[in-house]
Amino acid sequence: MQMEDRQESPKSQSALVTEPADIKKIKSEDFPSQNDDEEPFYDFQAFVKLMKDPRADPIVRYTRSFLNNFVTKRELWTSEEQRKLVNDFKVFVFDKLTLYEPFKSLDAANLLNAKEGMEKLIMGKLYHKCFSPCLKSQLNVLDKGHKLDLDHDAMLADKREEFRFIDPQHLEINDKISSKLETFTQLSAKELGRMNGYKAPRDKMVCALNACRVIFGFLKHLKLERDGADAFIPLLIYAILKSNVESLISNVNYIERFRYPGFLRGESSYYLSSLQGAAGFVANMQVESLHIGNQQDFESKYHANQDALRKERESRQPSDPHKNASIPREPYGPSPSDYILKPLDGATNIVLSKFAELFSPAPASPQGHDAQEDVEGHDDITRLAQEMEEKEHARVLRELHAMFPDMDQELIRDISIAKKYRIGACVDVLLTLSS
Amino acid sequence: MGWVKSPIHKRAHQNKRYNTATMLQFKLVLLGDSSVGKSSIVHRFVKDSFDEFRESTIGAAFLSQTIKLEKHPDVTIKFEIWDTAGQERYKSLAPMYYRNANAALIVYDVTQPGSLVKAQSWVEELKNKVGDQDLVICLAGNKVDICDEDATAREVQREDAQLYAQEQGLLFYETSAKTGAGVSAIFQEIGERVYQKKGMEVPSSTQARKPLNVELQRPSTNDSTSCCS
Ligand SMILES: Nc1nc2c(ncn2[C@@H]2O[C@H](COP(=O)(O)OP(=O)(O)O)[C@@H](O)[C@H]2O)c(=O)[nH]1
Ligand SMILES: [Mg+2]
Repeated sequence: MQMEDRQESPKSQSALVTEPADIKKIKSEDFPSQNDDEEPFYDFQAFVKLMKDPRADPIVRYTRSFLNNFVTKRELWTSEEQRKLVNDFKVFVFDKLTLYEPFKSLDAANLLNAKEGMEKLIMGKLYHKCFSPCLKSQLNVLDKGHKLDLDHDAMLADKREEFRFIDPQHLEINDKISSKLETFTQLSAKELGRMNGYKAPRDKMVCALNACRVIFGFLKHLKLERDGADAFIPLLIYAILKSNVESLISNVNYIERFRYPGFLRGESSYYLSSLQGAAGFVANMQVESLHIGNQQDFESKYHANQDALRKERESRQPSDPHKNASIPREPYGPSPSDYILKPLDGATNIVLSKFAELFSPAPASPQGHDAQEDVEGHDDITRLAQEMEEKEHARVLRELHAMFPDMDQELIRDISIAKKYRIGACVDVLLTLSS
Repeated sequence: MGWVKSPIHKRAHQNKRYNTATMLQFKLVLLGDSSVGKSSIVHRFVKDSFDEFRESTIGAAFLSQTIKLEKHPDVTIKFEIWDTAGQERYKSLAPMYYRNANAALIVYDVTQPGSLVKAQSWVEELKNKVGDQDLVICLAGNKVDICDEDATAREVQREDAQLYAQEQGLLFYETSAKTGAGVSAIFQEIGERVYQKKGMEVPSSTQARKPLNVELQRPSTNDSTSCCS
């Protein structure tokens, strides 16, 4: 199902123009094809070091100027504008990386890492403006895209309560699947929940991938992996249904919007689509969506749950308006963004002219409103980057411990070091060791 | 805004090894009823492809496999194969999978007439929602080996399905994942068709794609982890 009306963004006057028309569709992007088994080299600290190099000054300035303009030029961009602004900046700055040292002379893998670092850096800075749950307080002025994220998250939460009593059989989960089902789906859900702890689209994506890997580890263990999507999808849905992952749909849409398309491919793209599909399935779940063996039994459970829910909802403080099912879910409130009301082309032109503004400050010509950012200089960005990196390692260890509580802690640490804290690679190794 | 150049052409000559080859990556989505043999066809395809790039990965639901086009030996195609859940109740997830696909392989079971009906409903849906000018659709009647053993088992006549495919402008094959009959031909033909479509869209395709090849191909000798740490 489509989670959101999403118009393929029209081609801008930027990079897309120089690409042959088919390339985007074929997804032949400008990045080395990744071996699907192995995560590519990823070292945020290495990127931070490069940013500290005085020769990186133009890049730092471009970045600072973009970030500054993004947060000051407009109170709130629509989700589609944000997607486009961020993507266009990445295209722009990735190109600049090939012009300025120390990035210019990097080999392909290190350049890729620098691009990853850049994405992490800018999205870390813009997260509070781009991740829909951060915008909850501005609900009445929110654009349709962000608002739909929140609405769909609320729908998902409601459906999770409505159908929390269901059994694996209601989703046609293979009978062979054992008592360990709950354990594994909980682990998977836990990984999904960790998406909320990260700001970088890549890091969120890794959590999503890990959630899927846990399910596959389980299917492999049961020798059911050859059933492919037939086995995988019901389990993923079950994991989502039985979890209490906050803001799942916002997270997934955030990844889709802000992960550079060249990075979001192959397996990652497959699992992201699966998650979108599965989350959408739960958000729209009806009794008819389920396989019901014993009608009477189902109905009595359903009604018992409804009664229980009613009582719980009565006693619950309506602190979060989204938890309240009676709030209308369709877009409401004052006029949404001007852009939505205009035909797409008109909107595009406006947006395009905004891009020109955003990118306009030349590296060496700060404008008045840049003054404050200028004072912050390099150090600000590199310090931020460094902090993010340190936290990352600690998180990886914490998460692996949580996912594999029976595993020797020393062993987990050794594996993490060996795998350079690439959590996906670590999970793969640990899954192999634990089965 | 002429200041943004495509980054694609930047690192075109880093690796001479692939300069002459064209490498394209296609997304192929599998559709069809449960148990018609979608997974078996793909596993057969992957198993029978002797892949000089050794790039194939077997996952549970997503897998990729690289082939060379027989008609264009300099063209290499990496199929990214997206499995979908065949159960009717998960039909609503399908759009998440077929969006941006270059090809769809819709499979039915020649011994199960109901599965052809289902296949036809997928054809309809794709035509309505995707528009077939961009998408190569291939219809495959699987499990013909059963009919070879016992002709009475056949429930869908080859001619009927073929006629339907012709009317709809689909590629059509009968296959057996068990014996391998028709399997590699399907992927060759799909690869060829997508290549042709894409080739026609871009006049100077070889020129335009050449730099791309290098970027798409990660040579096995150059593991990204080995060059940095
Ligand atoms: N005889 C025969 N059996 C097949 C063939 N293809 C698949 N099968 C069997 O049909 C069943 C379902 O196959 P599977 O690939 O899982 O179907 P899927 O649900 O469409 O992915 C399995 O038991 C396969 O062994 C075939 O070409 N011939
Ligand atoms: Mg299958």
